[in-house]
Amino acid sequence: MKLAVISCIHGNYEALNAVLSDIDAQKADQIYCLGDLVGYGPYPNAVVELIRSLDIPTVQGCWDEDIVEGLNACECSYPSQLAEKRGRLAHEWTNTVIRPKVREYLATLPMTLRLDNLCFVHGSPNSQHEYLLPSMDSFAALERVLSTDADVLFCGHTHVPYVRNLGDGTLTVSVQRPGKDALETQFKTPVKQIVNVGSVGEPRHGRPNATYVLYDTDTAQVELREVPYEVAKTCMAILEEGLPPIFAWRLARGMEFAERADDPSHVCQR
Amino acid sequence: MQWAILSGIEGNLAAYEAVLQDIRQQRSPVTALYALGDVIGLKGDNEAVIRRLQSPRPGELDPQVCIGWWEEQCFSLHGLSGLPDAPELMAQFGGDGVKQLWESVSRESVRWLRSLHFGFHELDCLLIHGSTVSYADELTPGTPAIQLCDRLLRADANTLFCGRSGQTFHLKIPEGAVTSTVTTLDAAAQTMTQTVRDRQIVGVGSVGKEPGKATYTLYSPYTNAVSFRTVRYGTQGKGFGAV
Repeated sequence: MKLAVISCIHGNYEALNAVLSDIDAQKADQIYCLGDLVGYGPYPNAVVELIRSLDIPTVQGCWDEDIVEGLNACECSYPSQLAEKRGRLAHEWTNTVIRPKVREYLATLPMTLRLDNLCFVHGSPNSQHEYLLPSMDSFAALERVLSTDADVLFCGHTHVPYVRNLGDGTLTVSVQRPGKDALETQFKTPVKQIVNVGSVGEPRHGRPNATYVLYDTDTAQVELREVPYEVAKTCMAILEEGLPPIFAWRLARGMEFAERADDPSHVCQR
Repeated sequence: MQWAILSGIEGNLAAYEAVLQDIRQQRSPVTALYALGDVIGLKGDNEAVIRRLQSPRPGELDPQVCIGWWEEQCFSLHGLSGLPDAPELMAQFGGDGVKQLWESVSRESVRWLRSLHFGFHELDCLLIHGSTVSYADELTPGTPAIQLCDRLLRADANTLFCGRSGQTFHLKIPEGAVTSTVTTLDAAAQTMTQTVRDRQIVGVGSVGKEPGKATYTLYSPYTNAVSFRTVRYGTQGKGFGAV
């Protein structure tokens, strides 16, 4: 079965349409969505309605959560203070225009979805806000996959797609308890995989094209897809809606111009 | 330099006094005293323990105390952090437990508890009640190895001392490795092997949980030596002799 996995649409209807056309052309059997349907972009209601009308299994992203529960996360919601300042403006705008039915739908979305040996999350299995960057410590990354009991963990949130194979994992552990002999055990882990599917509507890999992933469940083949679309249309709509112009500027370049978070793996203790 | 590290007094003043006595009797002097949370609980005299911690006697070490599971329940009851009305406490100990904890800690003491740290970074060690993930994170020798490794890496420490389980254990990770291959849109697959070496997690025991028997940990940072102390006290033990 051929799966298409999309994430981080962020109210960008033009990009979603283009990606759905590409998915059609690639003859995918099933689409999964990793959340962040809203935020930043000018068409949050239309994006949610399209996803719902196609009955696409979807997990809740951090932006979806914030629209449901309000902005109550700590600073970890954003990769930097600059990003947080911009993000708050986008949140306030989205919160104003979002329809009650759309908000209700976002509230029903699960944190994770499963399909056989595959697990789908927005950020990480711990939190929608945790960034699984490709540079993350390999043991920590392996722990995130193992905690799901799946072989392949699909995530988004970083807006930059990658595939990470984690193999030949070994750990020697020795336990000493009072009055007992030390017990040494060696653990070996099978190959696990993290697939970050990038972003449909707010890509940050250095080009403005939308990104998503195709995955063949029979061959375990992963294909990172890049889809051009009419970025200018979304940029114009951002300006017309009165959203911060910086969102249009960076969307046209496919980059987030902000410093990195100190601790992207920090888990929000809200 | 030698540290005494304890956890889980749980309002048991007699147990804490017995441990302090044992610390005083150490041939190699103890130079720092850490209490890794759960200084209060349901069974003992919480106010007396808090006063004892706040006011060490002349010549005694000033204990460095961090927050534990019971303190967090107290904050929740007082609306100071987490979810309101202490749902974790309610689920485990019911309405009676909630009432008892509410009545056994004064507002002034709650304010003092609230001023405590979440944990301590000393040298290459993290001393904490649960882990950096949560005060409720219970690490034991039965915790999956990769999870233990993750907690050490999150802690950014070579040694993690924790008290949540109440158990005494010394878990070492002498070595480990994992190979990671990353492919992006713009770069071909890049492979690297990451290793981990000589990390450890120490469960420091529980002072007050088991009547008549207190456990705690001694640690020498210079030699990396860990030893566990068991102190019998009161009517159920055989005097104050340590095992």
